[in-house]
Amino acid sequence: MLTPHPTLLIGPSDWQAERMPRQEFTRRIDALWARDPQAERAVVFGSSRHHAELAYFSNLIPKLGPALALLSRSGEHRLFVGDSANMLGAARPLTWIENVASMQDAMAALAAGKAGPRSLMVGADYMPLALRRAITEVLGKDASVQDATAHVWSQMRRKSRYELNAIDAAVKATGAARKAMREALMSGAGVTDVMSAGERAAGDAGAQDVRTLFSLDGGRTLRPFFVPVRQEADPLLAYLAIRRFNYWAECFPLFTTRRESTPLQEKAWDAMGSALSAIKPGVGTSEIGQLIAAAIHPYQAHPITAHAFAQHMGLALEDSPHADIGAAFEEGEVYSLRVGAMEGSSAGMICSRMFIVQADGIVAFDDGLPELQ
Amino acid sequence: MNFQERLADICRRMQDEKLALLVGLHDGAHFIEKPNPVMVLSGFKSIGAAAALLFSDGSCTLIVTPRWDAGRAAELCPQARVVAVDDLVAALRVFFGDDFPRDTISEIGIAGLSLLPSGIASPISAALAGARAADKLIFDAARTKTVEEIAFAREAARIAELGYARLLQIAAPGMTEDALAVDLKGYMKTLGAEDNFLLLCAGPHNRAVQPSTGRKLERGDIILAEITPSYRGQLTQICRTVVIGDPPEELARKYALVVEAMRHGIAAARPGVAMAEVCRAINAVLEAQGYGEYCHPPHIRRRGHGLGFASVRPGDVSLDNATVLEPDMLFMIHPNQYLPETGYLLCGEPVVITARGAEVLTAEQSSLGIAGRWKD
Repeated sequence: MLTPHPTLLIGPSDWQAERMPRQEFTRRIDALWARDPQAERAVVFGSSRHHAELAYFSNLIPKLGPALALLSRSGEHRLFVGDSANMLGAARPLTWIENVASMQDAMAALAAGKAGPRSLMVGADYMPLALRRAITEVLGKDASVQDATAHVWSQMRRKSRYELNAIDAAVKATGAARKAMREALMSGAGVTDVMSAGERAAGDAGAQDVRTLFSLDGGRTLRPFFVPVRQEADPLLAYLAIRRFNYWAECFPLFTTRRESTPLQEKAWDAMGSALSAIKPGVGTSEIGQLIAAAIHPYQAHPITAHAFAQHMGLALEDSPHADIGAAFEEGEVYSLRVGAMEGSSAGMICSRMFIVQADGIVAFDDGLPELQ
Repeated sequence: MNFQERLADICRRMQDEKLALLVGLHDGAHFIEKPNPVMVLSGFKSIGAAAALLFSDGSCTLIVTPRWDAGRAAELCPQARVVAVDDLVAALRVFFGDDFPRDTISEIGIAGLSLLPSGIASPISAALAGARAADKLIFDAARTKTVEEIAFAREAARIAELGYARLLQIAAPGMTEDALAVDLKGYMKTLGAEDNFLLLCAGPHNRAVQPSTGRKLERGDIILAEITPSYRGQLTQICRTVVIGDPPEELARKYALVVEAMRHGIAAARPGVAMAEVCRAINAVLEAQGYGEYCHPPHIRRRGHGLGFASVRPGDVSLDNATVLEPDMLFMIHPNQYLPETGYLLCGEPVVITARGAEVLTAEQSSLGIAGRWKD
């Protein structure tokens, strides 16, 4: 889900070798070279908003200015960060790459480096125009330049055990946040206080980043925090995304003091159950989309999930094309499946589950809390 | 000047430039130093990529992404016609497609293009080939703040000071920079800050203020904090320095020097004065004490800056900024000086220019802070 982009990323992002060892990154880089034997080097760009590919290879999430990784098949990997030279100290703990320099030095390094027959660019569409032109010109001087972003996206889809552990930790943090939000709602807190309780609990659980949306109209729409909302909302549908160790988890918790589920809620969860039991490697994603549409009948698809009933989960929270689910579910991939349903214009409901696709079906991540609050 | 009066001013400028349409673009990645023509033209802080189309008659069409954010856009911008889509580029291609009279393309002004990611900028640039750059037109008109923006800045300043008070309360040895920053951000959000450019770091001798890391605070550390909440899309900043423990005498003395430099800068800031003069006034205090070489890069780049998210005019408090100050200009004055004896020190206040001079928006100006909860 797209959420408001914070002007500065605030939260624990230091590289933890025990969580994501150096060998994990070198394995990824080796896989990049294996896909293109002609490539001698790759330039990977990331900004504070778009950085999944950069984080995949370097662990670095640029909190402030943009950054470039210069990966070399035969030489040393280097990282250039857009902050001033005096600020490099804050970037070093974020990455396993030892050679960290200012972005001002990047062009000279690109010009001086060994080109080989081909250079790869990753994340070029995220670069400002002027930077893209400059880099293309420097790289293209001695070698052909190929945009390898889509290749990297496909490489990123099958998750390693380290990645699964990180995602599991993020899912567990959503459980801690949900619990705190539920308690806040039950105590009569207003919307902002409920959301803040969740964000605080997520922070206490080690969250690196927390993004939230909430509904003030019975689940029909979601909105970001803009000004404090003191009023209570019951039921309160929310969107909660939490990042830990660079990996995201998301959910659409529904909080209410009512004991009984509504038919709309039951229908959505039934559809979720049907969809989850139908997913296996090779099953078409459109097939699951149709199954959900049929299963929520007579309710209509929720506008928020109508065009995105599932999303790849990992290093990016943003919408398509990065998180597009492709034609079929594949083994080793992690998804968030969302079922959204509308009861005319009076109420809306969205539920979601995160899962990994395995050989004989799916295994859902467990946040430690019951589905319905 | 209120928002509508500024729009009317922009329309007059369009007529002067013979422009029939202004297209303001933004990718939704809001950054403190990145001007946002969509916000200037519509007042809307988007989640995703957005465009504001202002016609010369003053009517505005706001194209927002994602599609599901339509209701919020319509609620916050009742004066605009809101079009909600999932793909801004596709929407603009339709708008400026085959049916659009190409012979009028030179009557279109476009702003924000150079700051977009190339994946968005390239196709829009192609669809609007022949349109004229209009960044200057829009941001010239937004060089001063509206009454609404100034009111929001005052509230953001109040939130920043409360955030600082909390920092003094909770900062303690053993806490990580990250944990402190996360707590402060969350606290200020409950007060109404929808965003926060909160640079916070600590060390015995800082070289610069930087984003927080997992480093644990230690007794004797100097905490640097640029506390920058945004209230309803308007940023305000305070720059503060806090010592954990009793401050060494030299640190207190040097900090007083930086505060004095800031006060000279604030006194110099008044209508009719070039921004460079404000910088010069700050530098003069430090140069007089023998710190001339530290008044330039790499130690210091500027002595303050404009405050977005909409317009970042009047720009940096720097020697090369010839902008002449006018009433209702809003900006930071922060000496933020590296001194060899103490390291980097933060000290800065937000000011709005009035007919009488610079009005400081904070209730209490910078002084060296002492974090005390854990004190012996």
